[in-house]
Amino acid sequence: MSRSGATAVAVRPSYGVRASPHRIEVRDVSKTFTVDGREIHAVDTVSFSVSEGEFVALLGPSGSGKSTLLNMIATLLEPSAGEILIDGEPVNPRRPNRKVGYVFQKDTLFPWRTAEANIAYSLQLAGVPAAERRERVQAALAEAGLKGFGGFYPAALSGGMRQRVALMRTLISRPQILLMDEPFGALDTHTKLDMHRVLLNIWERERQTVVFVTHDLGEALTLADRIILLSARPGRLKEEFVVSFPRPRDAVALRETAAYGDLFSRIWHSLGEEFVKGSEP
Amino acid sequence: MRRQRHWATLAWQGLICLTGLAIWQWGYALHDRLPWLVPELLDPYFISRPSDIASQFLHLGCLVDEQGHWTIWTKGAFHQCVAGMDNNLWIAALVTLKNTLTGFAVGVASGFLLGLLLGRSDRLARVFHPYIIAANSVPRIALAPIIILAFGIGDASKVVTAWLVVVFLVFFNTFEGVRSVDRDHISAARLLGASEWQITRTVVIPSASAWVFASLTPAISFALIGVIVGEFIGAEHGIGRMIIEAEARGEASGMMVAVFVLMVVGVALSSVVRRVQSYLLRWRPQHGVF
Repeated sequence: MSRSGATAVAVRPSYGVRASPHRIEVRDVSKTFTVDGREIHAVDTVSFSVSEGEFVALLGPSGSGKSTLLNMIATLLEPSAGEILIDGEPVNPRRPNRKVGYVFQKDTLFPWRTAEANIAYSLQLAGVPAAERRERVQAALAEAGLKGFGGFYPAALSGGMRQRVALMRTLISRPQILLMDEPFGALDTHTKLDMHRVLLNIWERERQTVVFVTHDLGEALTLADRIILLSARPGRLKEEFVVSFPRPRDAVALRETAAYGDLFSRIWHSLGEEFVKGSEP
Repeated sequence: MRRQRHWATLAWQGLICLTGLAIWQWGYALHDRLPWLVPELLDPYFISRPSDIASQFLHLGCLVDEQGHWTIWTKGAFHQCVAGMDNNLWIAALVTLKNTLTGFAVGVASGFLLGLLLGRSDRLARVFHPYIIAANSVPRIALAPIIILAFGIGDASKVVTAWLVVVFLVFFNTFEGVRSVDRDHISAARLLGASEWQITRTVVIPSASAWVFASLTPAISFALIGVIVGEFIGAEHGIGRMIIEAEARGEASGMMVAVFVLMVVGVALSSVVRRVQSYLLRWRPQHGVF
């Protein structure tokens, strides 16, 4: 993985040629589900864009449509209205974009593959030679602090370890755009902070363009450059906050700074209104 | 502690076996004195006796010759006996085993492919649904006489009968297995760059394998049933043929030898299937090495 930074940089110069300065553009996107004959407006006319190398957190109470929004960017869902562009081109579910990596909230590791074989999956699909595959998988295991666990099946790993394997399974193919759907939502506080450290380490080296969905304000502040706050259902864009804490960030030490506390309470107030609204019938 | 319990289990099993054999061997002797206790069914005319079955086994298996001498001590005696007896135990067992395994293999392969195809394609599944339900509702064994008529009394008809009983079983399980693949695993594979064929190969098949394997143990027993029924109706060799011949002679011990051999064959076949299964499914927690 140590050489991957250089590879990623080598790919990027072509980017400057494009008309749009944004890697991801969400334009007036709405999504309506029909459940038992009733229409549910999950996302209502949301627009935002994400620049090259930017880490954006989509924050909102449950039911604010943040995962729906992410899944539409990933082409797992189709918008009811509006359009989504990646590098200036509309996303197409028929043609998955190889530059995009996705990390699920749910555990989607293949239980019949060992941790190593899970991480190697996308390389195997792409026909990467076995020797190179092995080398890259070993580097990824070391990066995630999973040395010695490569031969284990997912059933024998803890929740935190499984999520590390899942993260590495996505990162091994060096996606330039990373979509993450509450990837650490099911982990306990300590394991979560640990995962933040792992993710920040990798991101600060590779600077992927990230959209990270979460309902955890602390997590959003620790990781993101910008927080997009969504309202309670139907999800609308409520407010945006720039998070300008210096990098590299320390997931634990950051939380004790005054700037963190200030921003936390500002957003907390705004988020709190939505939580109240969301809990109303 | 565990070891002790293991020995206790073995001791009980041995005791039950010996008691059963003893009742079988000598129980009918009490029939005249205690007719209310000893049922008519224990009559050796129907079910033979362990000692008769053992000696019949040695004869049918060419292990002893007609004079009661062991054939292994005389050079060439075994071969001479085997050559002289048309449907001897070894030929019969090999023919039955060969046809069972062939029918099983063809049935598993075709059932699996059909299940995969229909499981992955909604349109095909809709079109073929009524035909499969109708075909599955026919007791396959009822077709055995037709199959003998069409394919003759040779091996082919036995293989076809075995195939017919196995194919539906494996098909239904594969179909269910393919249908119950976790949608999120498929999404994950697709987002990691898998093509439809790669998804089938790397996600659907391994994921459905537990379902497919669940059908293999019953399938191997069914294949054996199919072959035996085929042999009952018309065959030149085979254990089923041996049973029919012994029945015609009113020879219970001969039938019992055949049944005993079938039992051994059945146990051996299903234990091989189970072993292969637990190796291939070692990633599952209940089969795991951890």
